[in-house]
Amino acid sequence: MNLSMLKPGEKGRITKIGVTGPVKRRLMDMGVLVGEEIKIEKVAPLGGPIEVTVKNYNLSLRKKEAEGITVEAVK
Amino acid sequence: MSLELGVKSSELRETKRKTITVAVAGNPNSGKSTLINAIAGSRLYVGNWPGVTVEKKSAMFEYEGSKIKLVDLPGTYSLSPYTQEEIIARDYLITEKPDVIINVVDATNIERNLYLTIQMLELGIPVVIALNIYDEAEQKGYRINTKAMEEMLGITVIPTVATKKSGLNDLLKAATEAAANPSRYAPKQLHYSEDIESAATFIQTHLNEHHSSLQKRYPMRWLAFKVMEGDSHMMKEAGLDIDISLIEQATKHLTRAHGDDIESIMADERYAFAAGLTREMVKRPEIRKMELTEKIDKVVLNRFLGIPIFLAAMWLVFKLTFDLSQPFGDWIDGATAGPLSRLAAKAITAVNGPLWVASLATEGVLAGVGFVLAFVPVIFAMMFFITFLEGSGYMARAAFVMDRAMHSMGLHGKSFIPMLLGFGCNVPGIYATRTLENPRDKALTALLLPLMSCGARLPVYVVFIGAFFTTHAGTVLWSMYVMGIALAILMGVIFKRTLFRGESPMFIMELPPYRMPSLRNLLIHTWEKGKHFLIKAGTYIFAVSIIVWFLLNLPWGVESKKDSYLGKTGQVIAPVLEPIGFGNWEAASALVTGLIAKEIVVGTMAEIYAVEQEEQEETTVSEDIREIGASFTAAVGDSIRNVFATFGVTSISAEEDDSVSGLRTVIQKAFTPLTAYAFMAFVLLYMPCVVVAIAMKHEFGTWKWFGVAFGYQMVLAWVVALTIYQGGKLLGIGI
Repeated sequence: MNLSMLKPGEKGRITKIGVTGPVKRRLMDMGVLVGEEIKIEKVAPLGGPIEVTVKNYNLSLRKKEAEGITVEAVK
Repeated sequence: MSLELGVKSSELRETKRKTITVAVAGNPNSGKSTLINAIAGSRLYVGNWPGVTVEKKSAMFEYEGSKIKLVDLPGTYSLSPYTQEEIIARDYLITEKPDVIINVVDATNIERNLYLTIQMLELGIPVVIALNIYDEAEQKGYRINTKAMEEMLGITVIPTVATKKSGLNDLLKAATEAAANPSRYAPKQLHYSEDIESAATFIQTHLNEHHSSLQKRYPMRWLAFKVMEGDSHMMKEAGLDIDISLIEQATKHLTRAHGDDIESIMADERYAFAAGLTREMVKRPEIRKMELTEKIDKVVLNRFLGIPIFLAAMWLVFKLTFDLSQPFGDWIDGATAGPLSRLAAKAITAVNGPLWVASLATEGVLAGVGFVLAFVPVIFAMMFFITFLEGSGYMARAAFVMDRAMHSMGLHGKSFIPMLLGFGCNVPGIYATRTLENPRDKALTALLLPLMSCGARLPVYVVFIGAFFTTHAGTVLWSMYVMGIALAILMGVIFKRTLFRGESPMFIMELPPYRMPSLRNLLIHTWEKGKHFLIKAGTYIFAVSIIVWFLLNLPWGVESKKDSYLGKTGQVIAPVLEPIGFGNWEAASALVTGLIAKEIVVGTMAEIYAVEQEEQEETTVSEDIREIGASFTAAVGDSIRNVFATFGVTSISAEEDDSVSGLRTVIQKAFTPLTAYAFMAFVLLYMPCVVVAIAMKHEFGTWKWFGVAFGYQMVLAWVVALTIYQGGKLLGIGI
């Protein structure tokens, strides 16, 4: 399951960052790391990007980028 | 080396020791620029980092007997080699070797901020942490053990609240103290996991043995990490050519054990360190209250309300920017063209100066100065509101809301605001592209921006619509704006597949908490930017307007405008305009002067077609002076009224006077409805005006993007006008 499949309010634990290169490094620099818990807060009114909470702060990313992040659902 | 030289270099070292270089680094939204402003205020010098368009702020001042050079590094989340900002920050730290780093850390978001701190500690430069926004952290109930933090990292930590200027004295004291005793304040070396350390030691030993000359330039342990991470930027910089198999040999057990590349393993390690430190130092309250930011975002980013609120906010920004500044711009324009010019002319006549000197002084120099100054109010107003949007945290939300739509044109969510401002005036729009971090997003936005029909094009439409399309005035005017937007979308798609082919830049953006920017900070920021415009762009614009005066008036004493250099230029260009419906020297000359500002097209036409203009009344010197004062008072009144009467006031109102109605009659003879429409479309699309050109050069540091804009717009304008004219002729419309 990837991050873009979660709905607002749902949480997941990151199991894999599937993207490579600068995007991967940027995600990791922003604290999007394997093992981290990530929560979907909102989807922008036009259907994207999405807002998530990770490491206790708010981050937004496009759906395309979210698709590269594999997660397992957390209750 | 001669003795003399040796003495000199030691002297140099002596003076260098007296000046303490302090680099200020930190995450975006950590309050870093507020802190810089609070410390250095008016002593700040704003420029650009060499070769790039990233802003560089620095200041020199005395503090308790020592001379301090403060350098603000771009706000970054990391020191990776991927973004312009990060490369600038780390190159500075590596090559300039500042005496101390002030690391601004957001106390409400310690863990992510410490990730950057840890990377800076690897460099071995003394670090002083400004634990900023400390008041907010306390309000949230965070208990931060700064003593523990100091012990664990071997650095000084000073709680600060930059907005209230608290803690800043202690901060400077700690920084100068650390700079004076670098060995005592050297940060502790952080130890990562055993397997990483052993790989790093292996590489470091190799570097020490085979590249010992680098020891003078780089911290070797840090360099070893960079080599492990495969940081090609750094290796090239250091002139390092290491056998890849050697690096692989050192790291293969790591990559195998972790199942990831070294760069990611290192990011994980550093974050693990930051997380560990945070756990030790920060006690957060058990139950978290719903925060203000969350409450605001529930409404502002709501599925249904998000867009209307965004549009309302944008409308307000647009109205305020232009309504507030327009009366002042008009005042400067009017004062220089009217009373000031008359005063200058009188002075020159009084000393028996020749007529051409008076003309150059008033129509060349004074008009040029007036022209530059007339942009100042709108640039200041724009900078003020953009800074407010960024400082308050709404800019990130605006980008979040609009990104989907803008991304379909190959743009970024933040491209919307520059584009919107473009409808008022393209110039502040170009300057507003500085909110875009990625150079590609920024360039594409600036390229499409001139297709937004600005206020200066309106007077042209008004004259032609008044002459030909009075029955469908609204529709025809509307069609111009829509045409610009439609072609911008089209060109966006084309550029995305040609000039900007490849992966579009990512959108991974923090949504910072809402904060109220302080007025002082807003004003300092606005002033810095406005001053920069005045000096940098102003000089160019001034020079251009002098050149134009020569073009218009030489050879001196020509009877007919047809024989002036301008008229001759028009005659040369006219044949090119033949297929698009207005191949005469009059229209061509008017279009040439339109390169200064598009509204000038109307003025030139009036002059060329020799529309009778009102004779100016004779005025006395005191009347002239009084007029400047009176019109300023009126401008202040208008500006204030505009703000309160924002509802219902038209921002862009074309002034109409007698010369315009006279011009209409002439135009009706020279054009047909079809050629008039083609002409309007041409004015909308052909090259950006010279101020936009200068703004592009100023903002990008190169003429390249203006060149591209000029080229594609000329072709686009010609093709569109051709389609309109030839299509219309074929269908028999409006001939």
